[in-house]
Amino acid sequence: MNLSFLTDLLRISLHAMVPITLTAVGEVVGETAGLFNIGLEGILLTSAFAGALGAEMGGPMVGLLVGMVVGATISFVFSVINTYWKGDQMITGIGINLFAMGFVAFGLIKLGSPGFHSVPVASQLAKLRTPIGSLSPMIFVAIVVPFIVYWVLKRTRVGLMLKAAGENPEAADVAGINVNRIRLLATTFGGVLAGLGGAYMSIAWFGSVTKSISAGRGFIALATVVFSGLNPLLALLGGFIFGFFQSLATWIKTLPSKPIPWQFVEMLPYIVTLLVVAGAIGRVRFPKALGQPYKRE
Amino acid sequence: MREDTHVTDDKTVPDYYLRAEGITKVYSNGTVALKEADLEIQCGEIIGLLGENGAGKTTFTKILSGLLPPTKGRVISPRGPVRFSSPREALEFGIGMVYQHFALVGTFTAAENVALSHDRPFNAINLAATKTKLEALMEESGLRVPLDVPVEKLAVGEQQRVEILKVLSRNVDLLILDEPTSVLTPLEVDELFTLLKRLKEEGKSIILITHKLKEVGSITDRVVVLRHGEMVGDVKTVDATTERLAQLMVGKTLDEEARAVELQEKALPQRERRPAAERSETPVLAVKNLSVRGNTGEVAVEELSFDVYGGEIFGVAGVEGNGQSELVEALTGLRVPQAGSATINGTNILGKDPREIYRLGVAHIPEDRWRLGLVLPFTLAENAILGVHRWPEFRGPFSFLRWPKINKHVRELMDRFDIQATGPSAPARSLSGGNQQKLIVGRELAKNPDIIIASQPTRGLDIGAAQYIRDLLVEMRNKGRAIMLVSADLDEVLALSDRVAIMYEGRFMTIAAPEELNREKIGMLMGGVAAGEVA
Amino acid sequence: MSRESVGNTSRPLDIARRTLTGLNPAIESLLAAIVGLLIGAILMWIWGYNPWKAYSAMFSGAYGDTYGWASSAARGVPLMLTALTFSICVRAGMFNIGAEGQVYVGAAAAVTVGYFTLPTGLHLIAGIVFAMLAGAAWSLGPAILKLTRGVHEVISTIMFNWIARFLVFYLVAFVLVDPVRAEKTISIPINARFPVLMRGTDLSWALFAAVAFAIIIYFVLWHTAIGYEVRAAGLNPTAARYGGIKSKRTMLLAFILGGLGAGLAGATVVMGNPPTYAIISGLPQLMNTGFDGMAVAMVGRNHPIGIIIASLFFGGLTAGGRTMQFTAGVPLEMVRVVEGVIVITMAIPELIRVFRMLRTSWNRLAGLWRRRSA
Repeated sequence: MNLSFLTDLLRISLHAMVPITLTAVGEVVGETAGLFNIGLEGILLTSAFAGALGAEMGGPMVGLLVGMVVGATISFVFSVINTYWKGDQMITGIGINLFAMGFVAFGLIKLGSPGFHSVPVASQLAKLRTPIGSLSPMIFVAIVVPFIVYWVLKRTRVGLMLKAAGENPEAADVAGINVNRIRLLATTFGGVLAGLGGAYMSIAWFGSVTKSISAGRGFIALATVVFSGLNPLLALLGGFIFGFFQSLATWIKTLPSKPIPWQFVEMLPYIVTLLVVAGAIGRVRFPKALGQPYKRE
Repeated sequence: MREDTHVTDDKTVPDYYLRAEGITKVYSNGTVALKEADLEIQCGEIIGLLGENGAGKTTFTKILSGLLPPTKGRVISPRGPVRFSSPREALEFGIGMVYQHFALVGTFTAAENVALSHDRPFNAINLAATKTKLEALMEESGLRVPLDVPVEKLAVGEQQRVEILKVLSRNVDLLILDEPTSVLTPLEVDELFTLLKRLKEEGKSIILITHKLKEVGSITDRVVVLRHGEMVGDVKTVDATTERLAQLMVGKTLDEEARAVELQEKALPQRERRPAAERSETPVLAVKNLSVRGNTGEVAVEELSFDVYGGEIFGVAGVEGNGQSELVEALTGLRVPQAGSATINGTNILGKDPREIYRLGVAHIPEDRWRLGLVLPFTLAENAILGVHRWPEFRGPFSFLRWPKINKHVRELMDRFDIQATGPSAPARSLSGGNQQKLIVGRELAKNPDIIIASQPTRGLDIGAAQYIRDLLVEMRNKGRAIMLVSADLDEVLALSDRVAIMYEGRFMTIAAPEELNREKIGMLMGGVAAGEVA
Repeated sequence: MSRESVGNTSRPLDIARRTLTGLNPAIESLLAAIVGLLIGAILMWIWGYNPWKAYSAMFSGAYGDTYGWASSAARGVPLMLTALTFSICVRAGMFNIGAEGQVYVGAAAAVTVGYFTLPTGLHLIAGIVFAMLAGAAWSLGPAILKLTRGVHEVISTIMFNWIARFLVFYLVAFVLVDPVRAEKTISIPINARFPVLMRGTDLSWALFAAVAFAIIIYFVLWHTAIGYEVRAAGLNPTAARYGGIKSKRTMLLAFILGGLGAGLAGATVVMGNPPTYAIISGLPQLMNTGFDGMAVAMVGRNHPIGIIIASLFFGGLTAGGRTMQFTAGVPLEMVRVVEGVIVITMAIPELIRVFRMLRTSWNRLAGLWRRRSA
């Protein structure tokens, strides 16, 4: 094993980490406030597509912005349905996934290239030269954001309000917090991050859009959230771990003689997450009111 | 808070803090919780607010603290009328309430809980500053709590202190406490009272809701009594005797006729004296030294011993929250007791499964028909077999349910108990409260039990339904069954029981025949004053 | 909502109210379906297609002739089963989204019958049994985690889905692989396949297996004591405890029954789908069966009868979608869009309440009119 292999692995893992970490951190905020969004997959898919279109029209920055807006919009609708309209979070999330799958595939066909659409290099986000190869600047964003969110959650009143809304909405209400409004804001923020992660995939990483570009990353992000125990820093770590194992598995696939079947390598992060949740159940504790709409008496 | 600009033109120096005038509260279902209640609150005084269950104490204070709006009446301060549309506004005005079930976020520390309710701008909280402020407050008030431990890990008494600190940190002028001592140890009660006295000296006003007569005597300046939503008494503590207070709380003994009319209004059955000899030889239910703990580990039932015989109604009276629920739960398989024994016809029932207990001849009419007694989305038929769904007459080969038989059974129940519904397949939630309760009672009686444990059986029912159920219980007694009746409605318990026990803080203060007790004695016992004590 | 006196209302209104209440869940599903189709139509129109042409093509393709019905039913078979998996657990008060993974392992287990021989009927039955047991076994993991460690089933089933996916990838590529054509597993031998029901279609006897399972589940849940316990514990665990029901037992049973259904779904795909009768690498035939089943379950109101009908509807959408693509040029993917909107609509109880409000005001208007004319 030589150094270039390690740096390759590192580089790929870092790139793979970005969508997972961003989405997971966003979902951490949302779940802290009490909403469980299973529709992340759909958001990633849609914002990847929309972001690519935006980039083609106005350049990479516009593309990222469009991605964020799309993510925010879908999450906003999701949270309105599940706070003010007392909907069912699971069902809404599943519906979003279905809708997105169809919509993106449909959209690709309309663009004239069913299933695949490549984003012109000019619209992609340029990579930076570093000692370990060309890295997307988004990687740094993905590293910095968890720290910021961590600080906000831990040290600001907003963080307290979010946690109160998720843990004991009645107490939060008595303390004068508008529970539904804060849940709405939290989930929409989560959508912004997920949208950013989605747009990143098409504009800054793959350079193309396929109808299955999200490849389950939304669900991987959910797993990462569980792994992180709602700690944004651990979500960063978890994103890296999942990304790492994915790239490790991809590398193994290329080897002529495989030491371990790559499938088992890919399985590992999920098994680990299960162990974390089952084994350390005392440590990993989710907000008591997670998944339940709030009604005042 | 909207203060009308109308200012009272009484030019004297305001001698009161707040005045409630003509407060009336009628709920949307027609219940009258408060009827023209008046109260004047001075600065620097402690008022004890007494009353039975359902007297309106909590409603009244919820209105004062901004959680509920009054239907009629107003609250005025020396500067003019005030109206609150949320607890937060009341807090800003200076009124804070410490609820019986704390409004704390369990995973937060005390400091974080306090910081949560502070009017801070949307940015960095300075936990350090909050802690400093809290520490100063703790010094002043003498309340000590660990500030960095998640609140859910604190003892109940400590949690209450956090609640109080939270309210105090907002500089309230009026502090309302709802049954604060029910979760405290005697030592903690002393500490609380010391604090309250100190607050009073600082000029704050305090309203203490309680049903414990001794407490009232030891800490309050004034006692106010609510009964059926009306203010029936407002005396200085020094002028009040426990007898007088008890009288006010549970009803005047003075006018026998007025009493009879009252009972008539409630349509309670005339008690026909059944000679004790017709009671069964041996007790159906025999309880010895039963101790049960509550949900937060506190002592709910303490070394209780009693027997219930066939052919009698054994009533358990007392203010709610003194262990009645836990006692019933322990006897019906819903809670595991700490110690003691309880047998039905000689067979132990403690720690057993509810179904086994039903097999042994126990019927249980639960106190909360929606949460415990019925599965509301289920049909009448499905609810009618709850608990007996595995009995051979309802369950055939391969565990198949015999629906035709069940439906016939339900129709019989509907007939016999006059349950109004469209049929056995009507969803239970479409029935009125009275019919739902009749369904439950019918189901339980159809078990042909040796003993019926009925917990708040007529709660929330209209007169007709309540009467029906009471008559049923008496009929069962006359047929030789044993009945244990737990009820917060004192009139009901006294009218129906052959023997009645008054429960207070997990013990029976006394077990006697209702004739041997007069109202004031009962009131005193319910308030914790043992027979023969002078408070 | 209880009213003090039920006896005052007139009899015809009573009857109407009763039927309406019984029909209400079905009406809600119907309304959601209409909303979904409507929004699909709007999208189609925006993107330049003719919705009318598209939908008529779709419906004629799905239900226009027996061929269409057969295709719709065939598509609906696995969905029926995974919908039941989800619904059984919903009735038990849980959110089991593990059907996806259970289908994969069920299919893999079914394929193993290719390694031995048995007489014709028995061979098929063996495959079914293996598949169902595998599905149930896979559901035990989340069940045990929930019962012993309190792990929420949504989380554990997501994990198990992923683990199953990679596990079956591995099995397909290395263990069950066809020595001649490496991109698929060995095929199910002829006498272990579900016989084709209608020549020229892919509708097989798997339909009967699925419907039989649905009917069995119906009887278990509504006509046995244990099924009663499952439903009671799902609706009101406290009252169930009062009734002497042990919710741990009911939850475990629900998981197992669900797993059996999902495993069977895997079997129907592998042993019932011409021409391959094998698992193709990458699992394209099995992908999303679990998730689509959830949509079917919701529209079917978590009731076996409703699920049978809903799976026919969803199967029809997919089968008809092909015709729509062929005839009207609207891409097949539009079907997913419609499905997504239907599901989202079903998630909104308020929307349902809006419809109910309309019905109540209609009733009230009718009542006013009656009183006026009286």
